[in-house]
Amino acid sequence: MEKETGQDALKVSRRSFLGWAAGLMGAAIAAILGGSGFGYFISPAFKKREEDWVNLGRVDQIRLGVPTKAEFTVRKRDAWMTTERRSSAWILTSNGKDFTVFDPKCTHLGCPYRWDEATKKFLCPCHAAVFDVDGSVVKGPPPRPLDRYPVKVSSGRILILPLNEQRKT
Amino acid sequence: MRAWTWINERTGAGKIWEALFARKIPEAKGWVAWLYTLGSASLFVFTIQAVTGALLAMNYVPSPDHAHDSIRFIESQVFLGSFIRGLHHWGATFMVVLVALHMLRVYFMAAYKYPREATWLVGVVLFLLVMGFSFTGYLLPWDQKAYWATMVGANIAGQAPALGSYLAKILKGGEDLGAATLARFYSLHVLVLPMTIAVAILAHLFLVVWHGISEPPLKESNKGD
Repeated sequence: MEKETGQDALKVSRRSFLGWAAGLMGAAIAAILGGSGFGYFISPAFKKREEDWVNLGRVDQIRLGVPTKAEFTVRKRDAWMTTERRSSAWILTSNGKDFTVFDPKCTHLGCPYRWDEATKKFLCPCHAAVFDVDGSVVKGPPPRPLDRYPVKVSSGRILILPLNEQRKT
Repeated sequence: MRAWTWINERTGAGKIWEALFARKIPEAKGWVAWLYTLGSASLFVFTIQAVTGALLAMNYVPSPDHAHDSIRFIESQVFLGSFIRGLHHWGATFMVVLVALHMLRVYFMAAYKYPREATWLVGVVLFLLVMGFSFTGYLLPWDQKAYWATMVGANIAGQAPALGSYLAKILKGGEDLGAATLARFYSLHVLVLPMTIAVAILAHLFLVVWHGISEPPLKESNKGD
């Protein structure tokens, strides 16, 4: 056995050097491959929801003060598929600039409600719910006012985001 | 250390490590030594294929109306999707090359001789399984190249005497190359072949460790001294 003095103590044997080198290279390869695969696997967690704004038509076609029902088609991208769904919404404006768009389903159990011109109220046929023109509950079982879609006006057109999930009150 | 002792006493992990990684191997010098890495390289690429394949299967649909779209989705929408698919694509080619080179090395070094005939036979099965993976995987992108390559393959099977037309129909899952063929090839590619190759790989590795690695053949001039 060699006596360990100064320089010899720092000496690394060929075997342990190669062992470390192989281990490090292996770890690097495993980290790159494993990291890529892991990233691929967990990437859905960080994918942003696609914002598909739907065009509801021209701003000047909406009568002031009276809720207007708009029919439209939602094209939804579902991974590699595109699905189409017919839907509708109630558009309301008092000045032709600021718009409120209501989800067409009653917040009680999802029945489609209608606008009653005589009473100036939204009436739901299922459980006799009544909503005011601003969406607030006047009468009946609904737990919250009418749901609103995010809305914006762009180059004279009304665009909304018809989200499916129920928003919390 | 106490954790290691606990595990080792209950699993024999140390003995397993010694048998697999600290075993004696023949001394080989120069480029010849590199030929002994081809088996491990094949195993490494196989591992990559297994992992990337499992990941790709998460976003792939083996149906004529979705196969190509789902692959386009992987390529353009999924994070690192084209990288993972690239690994699987090139890994498939490398796999065939490495396995073939490994087979040539064993052949030309006469390493298949007594007592390693069983290792060689299992190796031949592994080679055929890799060919099966290549053939079935080639159809899955469902593009023109995939379709016509498989058509040629099915027609070749159809040329076999007497049983040819039956073989072709079994391969295609019907009269024509279509939805049933794609689903059939997918099942073979991700279920049947992987289960079979896992068993064959374990048997092959066991035999390699059991017999030890054969010496490189001596040069004529070195013989006898």
